Amino acid sequence: MSSSPNPPRLAFAGALGQRAKGLELQEYALGIVVVLLFVVGSILKPETFPTWDNIRNMLTQSSVVGVLAIGMTFVIATAGIDLSVGSIVAAAGVFGGIMVGDDGTSSLIFIASAILFATFLGTCNATAIAYGRVVPFIATLAMFSIARGLALLLNDKLPVSLLDLNGGSFGDPRPGSLLWFGIGRIFGIPVSVYVFLTIAILGWIVLNRTRYGRYVIAVGGNREAARIAGVPVRRIIFSVYVLSGFLAGISTVLLCARLGSASPVSGNLYELDAIGAVVIGGTSLAGGRATIVGTFLGVLTFALIFSLMTQLNLSTEIQQVTKGLIVLGAVLLQRPEARY
Amino acid sequence: MTTVLEVRGLVKEFPGVKALDGVDLDVLEGEVHCLLGPNGAGKSTLIKCVSGAVEPTSGEILFLGEPLPQGDPAGSLKRGVATIYQELDLVPDLSVAESIFLAHEPRRGPLLDLDRMYRESEAVLARLGHDAIPVRAKVGKLRPAAQQIVSIARALSGEMRLLIMDEPSAILDEAEISTLFEVVRRLTAEGVGVIYITHRLDEIRRIGDRVTVLADGQTAATGLPASTSTDTLVELMVGRKVEQLYPDRPAGTDEVLLEVRGARRLPAVRGVSLEVRAGEIVGIGGLVGSGRTELLRLVYGLDPLDEGEIVLDGKRLRAGDPRAAIRRGLGLAPEDRKSQALVLDWSQAKNVTIADLRRFSRVLLDVRKERRTARQELRALNTVPDDPDRAVRLLSGGNQQKVVLARWLLHECRVLLLDEPTRGVDIATKAEIYRIITGLAGSGLGVLVVSSELEELAHICSRVLVMREGEIVAEVDGKEATELSLLRHAVAPTDAPDLVEEVV
Repeated sequence: MSSSPNPPRLAFAGALGQRAKGLELQEYALGIVVVLLFVVGSILKPETFPTWDNIRNMLTQSSVVGVLAIGMTFVIATAGIDLSVGSIVAAAGVFGGIMVGDDGTSSLIFIASAILFATFLGTCNATAIAYGRVVPFIATLAMFSIARGLALLLNDKLPVSLLDLNGGSFGDPRPGSLLWFGIGRIFGIPVSVYVFLTIAILGWIVLNRTRYGRYVIAVGGNREAARIAGVPVRRIIFSVYVLSGFLAGISTVLLCARLGSASPVSGNLYELDAIGAVVIGGTSLAGGRATIVGTFLGVLTFALIFSLMTQLNLSTEIQQVTKGLIVLGAVLLQRPEARY
Repeated sequence: MTTVLEVRGLVKEFPGVKALDGVDLDVLEGEVHCLLGPNGAGKSTLIKCVSGAVEPTSGEILFLGEPLPQGDPAGSLKRGVATIYQELDLVPDLSVAESIFLAHEPRRGPLLDLDRMYRESEAVLARLGHDAIPVRAKVGKLRPAAQQIVSIARALSGEMRLLIMDEPSAILDEAEISTLFEVVRRLTAEGVGVIYITHRLDEIRRIGDRVTVLADGQTAATGLPASTSTDTLVELMVGRKVEQLYPDRPAGTDEVLLEVRGARRLPAVRGVSLEVRAGEIVGIGGLVGSGRTELLRLVYGLDPLDEGEIVLDGKRLRAGDPRAAIRRGLGLAPEDRKSQALVLDWSQAKNVTIADLRRFSRVLLDVRKERRTARQELRALNTVPDDPDRAVRLLSGGNQQKVVLARWLLHECRVLLLDEPTRGVDIATKAEIYRIITGLAGSGLGVLVVSSELEELAHICSRVLVMREGEIVAEVDGKEATELSLLRHAVAPTDAPDLVEEVV
C-alpha cells in the first residue's frame, strides 16, 4: 500500500508512450556512458589514456569483435543466436592460411578463401536452422565445436604465419598487403577501423532503411504475423546466419592481418563479447527490437572499459568478471516490465 | 440479500491516463452483474483492482463487508475472488489437471498427489459439463474454447464467492456459451456473485440480472435491470446515439473471383467447395471445431492442401504458399490479431505497410512516403488515435483490427478473408468495421467472413455458408438468414434431426 503503485520503469514507458522512443533513449544513455568512461579514464590516467595511440589501439582491437557484433545484431533481431562466430574466425583463418600455402604470396587468396570458408560455415548453420528446424542455440553450439575442431585439425594444431603476404611487415606494411588491413593506416587511422565503420554504417542502413531489414525485425517481432503478411520467413532466417558467417570471415581477415598469423586457438569467446555488446546496446534477445547504433556503442563501451582496466593493471581475470557483470546489469535494466 | 462486493469511488491513475475515475459497483450474492462499456472504458482495470492484479490509487473495495487487501492477488484469491481474464493465461505445456491446480496443487507430504489432482479435475470439469476434456492432455493441444473451460475450471477449483469473467464468450461458440451459462446459473444458485464482462448485449438478457455501464473510467449507470433497452445501453456506453449497427448488405455481382474446389485437409476440412463473387460478402458460420478457420488457412495457403484446388480470377493458386496468394490479391485478417496479425511493438504505419514494402522500396525504403501512405489508409478507416507512429500494442482491439484492414486496403487485394473480424471489439467500433467491410464489397472486392457470432453473419452477408464437421452443410441467402436458422444448421443432426434433414 505504501509503495508506489507503479514500478518506475512502467511509468517511464507510459510517459514515452512507445517502445521505439525508449530505444532511442537507451542509445543516448549508452552514448553518455561512453563519454563518461572516456572522461573517467582521462582523469585516472591522464598521461596514457586520452592519447591518440590509445584511442587507435582501442578502435583497432574492437574492430574484430565489432564486425562480429554487427552480424550478431541481425541474428538476435530475429530472436536467434549465433554461438559459433568465434570458432568460425579461427577455422576460417587457418583455412585461408592453408590455401595460401607455404610459398604463397597473395593476400587476396587468403582474404577470399577465409571469407568464403566462414560464409560456408555460416550457411551450414543457416541450413540447419531454417530448413532443418534446429533451434539456433543448439545448431550454432554444434558449429562452435565443429569449427573449433576444424581449426585444430586443418593445420595439425599449428598456427600459420601470414607475415609475408604481399610483402607486409610490421613496421610499415605496403597497401594491399595483408598486414596493411590490420595495422596499415590512412590519414592516421587504421584500415581495420575503416572496415568496421563501413560495415556498421551499412548495417544500419540495411536494418533501418531496407525491406530486408524490416523483414528481419518482423520475423523476430512476430513470426506468425510476418508469415501471414507475406514475409519470406524461412529465407530471412536463413540469410541472417549466412550474413553472420560472412561477417565472421571479414573479422577473420582483420584479426589475422593484425597478428600476422592465423592461430587455431584465436577467436576464443569472441561470440560472447559480440553477444554482450549487442545486448548492452539494447537489442532484445527476444527478437523484434534491434539497434546498430546501440551495438556500436556497446562495442565502444567494452573497449573503453578494458583499455582502462588494463592501464590500471587489473588482471584479465578481473576484466572477465567485470564483463559478465556488465552484461548481466544491462539485461536486468532492459527486461520487460515485471508483472506479478 | 448479502452484498458480496462493494466498490466505492475507485480511482486508478496510470502515468498520463486516468483509467478509473470514481467507479461504484456492488454485486449481490447469487446475481450475475454485467459490466458493459466500450474498449478503454476501464472494465479490465476495474476487475484487475478487484482481483488484486493492480493496486488502485484511491477508493475502497469491500468484500463481504470487509476491505479487500489491495494489490494482493493471492489474498483476493484466498478470500474467494476468482478471475478469468480475457487473455487466456494458461501454460501450454502443462496438462489440463496441472493447469486447474496450478499454484494450489494437492500434495501428499512433499510430493504431488497426482491421483487426487486428476480425480478432482475430472470432477470440476464434469461440474462444467465438459468431462470429455482429457485431464492428462496438454493445454496447448486444446482448442481455444476448451482452454477457456479449463480456465473456468481453475477458478472453480478453489473456494469461490465472487467470479469475475472477462469476455468469456468471445472465443466460444453458441453451444458452448449455452453450457457456460448453465454453469454460471448453477454457481449463482449456490450463492456465488458473478461479474460478467461482455460486448454482446444479447448475453445480458440471457444471463444477466443487473447491468453497470462504464464509460471513460466512470460509472455511466449502475444497477440497471437486465431488461434495459439496447438503445439505452448503447447510448450510455458511447455517450451518444449509434446509427444503425448493421449497414445494408451488398448484393454482389456475377463475376466469380475466388473458387474453392474440393478443398480437403484432414481432419478439419473434408472437401469444401465454394465461390466468392465480386462485391459479395460470403459468411461462413458453424460451431468452434467445424473447420471454419482451417478452411481460411487452406485458401490462404498457410497449410498445404491434401486435395482440391483454390482458383483466383480463373487461375489456379499455388497451394501452401501464402506469398503467392498475397501477390495474386488475397488478404487475411486472422482470428487472433495479437499473435497472428501484428508486430505489437511496431508503429501502426509499419504494421500497415509490411505486406507491401515493395511499393516503397527501390534499394532503400522511402520511409517518409511509407508513413504518409499508411497514414492515409489509417485515416480512411478512422483509426484512433490518428498517430501513425503509435505502437499498436497500445491500441484497442477495434483499432488493431482497423490496422490489419488498412494493410489489405493498401495492398488493393481482390478477395479479403476475415476470421472473426469483430472479436473483442466494442459495439461502436463493430458498427464501423461492418461499414468498412460492406464498403469494400461495394468497391468490388469479394469478402469471405468467418464468425462465431451468427447474428452478425445473418446481418451483413450476402450469403451464409454453414460448416459442420469440415463440410458445408447449408447455404442460406443473406436476406433469409437469422441467428436461429444458422444455428440449426450448425448443430449436429442428432440434436435436431428434423431440421437438418430438409437441408442435406
